Amino acid sequence: MTRRGYIIGAISLLVAFVVFVIPFLFVAINAMKTAQDASSLDFSLPERWVFWENLVTTVQTRDYALLLAYWNSIVITVCAIALLVVFGAMVGFVIQRRPSRTSRVVYAFILAGLMIPPAVVPTIWVLQGINLFKTLNGMILIQVAYGLGFTVLLYRAFISTIPRELDEAAIIDGAKPWQIFFRVVLPLLKPVTLTIIVVQSITIFNDFTHPLYYLPGRENITVQLTLYNFQSQFVSQMNLLFMNILLITIPPLLVFIFFNRQIVAGMTSGAVKG
Amino acid sequence: MSRVELKDLRKNFGGLEVIKGVDLTVEPGEFCVFVGPSGCGKSTLLRMISGLEEQSSGTIEIGGRDVTRSEPSERGIAMVFQNYALYPHLSVRENIGFGLSLARTPKDEMRRKVETVAETLQLTDYLERKPKALSGGQRQRVAIGRAIVRDPEVFLFDEPLSNLDAALRSQMRIELTELHERLRATMIYVTHDQVEAMTMADKIVVLNGGRIEQVGTPMELYERPATPFVAGFIGSPRMNLFEGDLAREMGCEVYGIRPEHLEVSETEGRWTGRVRHVERLGADTILHLEVEALGPLLARVDGSRTFNPGQTVHATPNTDKEFRY
Ligand SMILES: Nc1ncnc2c1ncn2[C@@H]1O[C@H](COP(=O)(O)OP(=O)(O)OP(=O)(O)O)[C@@H](O)[C@H]1O
Ligand SMILES: [Mg+2]
Repeated sequence: MTRRGYIIGAISLLVAFVVFVIPFLFVAINAMKTAQDASSLDFSLPERWVFWENLVTTVQTRDYALLLAYWNSIVITVCAIALLVVFGAMVGFVIQRRPSRTSRVVYAFILAGLMIPPAVVPTIWVLQGINLFKTLNGMILIQVAYGLGFTVLLYRAFISTIPRELDEAAIIDGAKPWQIFFRVVLPLLKPVTLTIIVVQSITIFNDFTHPLYYLPGRENITVQLTLYNFQSQFVSQMNLLFMNILLITIPPLLVFIFFNRQIVAGMTSGAVKG
Repeated sequence: MSRVELKDLRKNFGGLEVIKGVDLTVEPGEFCVFVGPSGCGKSTLLRMISGLEEQSSGTIEIGGRDVTRSEPSERGIAMVFQNYALYPHLSVRENIGFGLSLARTPKDEMRRKVETVAETLQLTDYLERKPKALSGGQRQRVAIGRAIVRDPEVFLFDEPLSNLDAALRSQMRIELTELHERLRATMIYVTHDQVEAMTMADKIVVLNGGRIEQVGTPMELYERPATPFVAGFIGSPRMNLFEGDLAREMGCEVYGIRPEHLEVSETEGRWTGRVRHVERLGADTILHLEVEALGPLLARVDGSRTFNPGQTVHATPNTDKEFRY
């Protein structure tokens, strides 16, 4: 590598360090301080390490709100992802494989869904009308609606790389349309499905604004909203706030570490060799 | 073994008529080859027989049964695609057995059938492999195996050998011919390669622009091509065809003579021309001549004779082998 390469590499690393690692260290250090110590919000090491106490207090705050939030967020994420994958792949399959006026109209709607910004008040009005406001089911459907455009787009593009002859071979082998989808196409979508699972699950799990609008109510709390626990109730308890941040960062982090390789594979692998 | 009968079959794509009324009977057990230039509708016709493409009008009968409105899987056909179309996520065993598993065949029977087929195609050692770990020839054999295991009345092939290299292609030609002899099934084979057509077919159907130009055995088409198009298409190198003055002189609209039916001499002959290019094939040599008043002319001569570019030679047609249209 050239000298210039080294310099550019070093600068990139430095930037990445400042942008990603320093904030994380700041959060981690302050999460282990006492309340008094943390309120000064500086980078000094804790006077007393109170990691475990902070952790227990954070979890117990407001009658174990954090655990309830974990549960709610996981339910929303898992259900929404399952629906997204199944519907996204199916819609993408039909739109790609059966071009017709209907499928073009559907596709136009999907693109519109990506481009037109969502309107909160009418959505709440609709949710109230069908009795889904302030329910997890309603939140799941909203997340599916927000994620569907992107998911369908990704699946459609990927399905177009699967040779149509595979479908035709299956038709001749006697497969019904749903068998073609579930036994031939869906297994081949694994790389892109993994990408969608990772990207969407992190988006949905970390969502702050949508649960804030559509899911009010103490029993409906989601992980990002637990941050409010420490802003209103304990004004000066920054240490617990940071501990909370640390705790809710863990699941997405695990997903990333676990699926890291597959994400890259899913984004780079386009063609399926016939 | 079944007869395939097509009656006034037509196909439109939008406003464009691609198949313009095809009547054809393929006899039971026959190896029938569709040839024609690219875009003439060979694949479309085959896909209509398979049921993958719906006809605009006309009827299709397989084994005396009208299947015009039947699903592809109910027509008793099996198809081999140009790019093999193997299921990439399934092993060779599962690829061959896919149709059987869809039909809920008992496990033992499926196993037995797949293994019998694998044995005839020398695939036994590869049964657990995925398609991407196979060579082109092996993939093609798996695709053929998937067809055989369905025990179809009619096999349909759409340019199955065009992705293989020359040596493998001629080997697969022989294997397919042997397979046909063993199974005695009706086979319909699409190709644009007239060598494949000549070597494998019992019956050749020459298509041009969505119509049948001529139907016949390979030698019939070679010896008695019905139209200038067939004359130019069957035979390699292609027949010399002339319109205009020469044809008028000969009392016809199109005059044709095959390169192998020209007598080439250094001293005298009917036409005088200059050698532009010499193509040595070993046993034969193809001469590209430029004849005054005629234009380019191909002649096939014995490989032992030597000619050089620029040389002046004379060519005389064998009058028994001329074609006039
Ligand atoms: N789905 C389609 N929509 C519109 N036109 C089509 C469609 N499929 C085929 N065609 C047209 O029909 C004609 C015949 O196509 P076909 O694929 O049957 O040709 P072919 O003889 O198999 O050619 P090749 O040797 O190149 O495979 C072509 O002009 C093609 O453009
Ligand atoms: Mg074709």
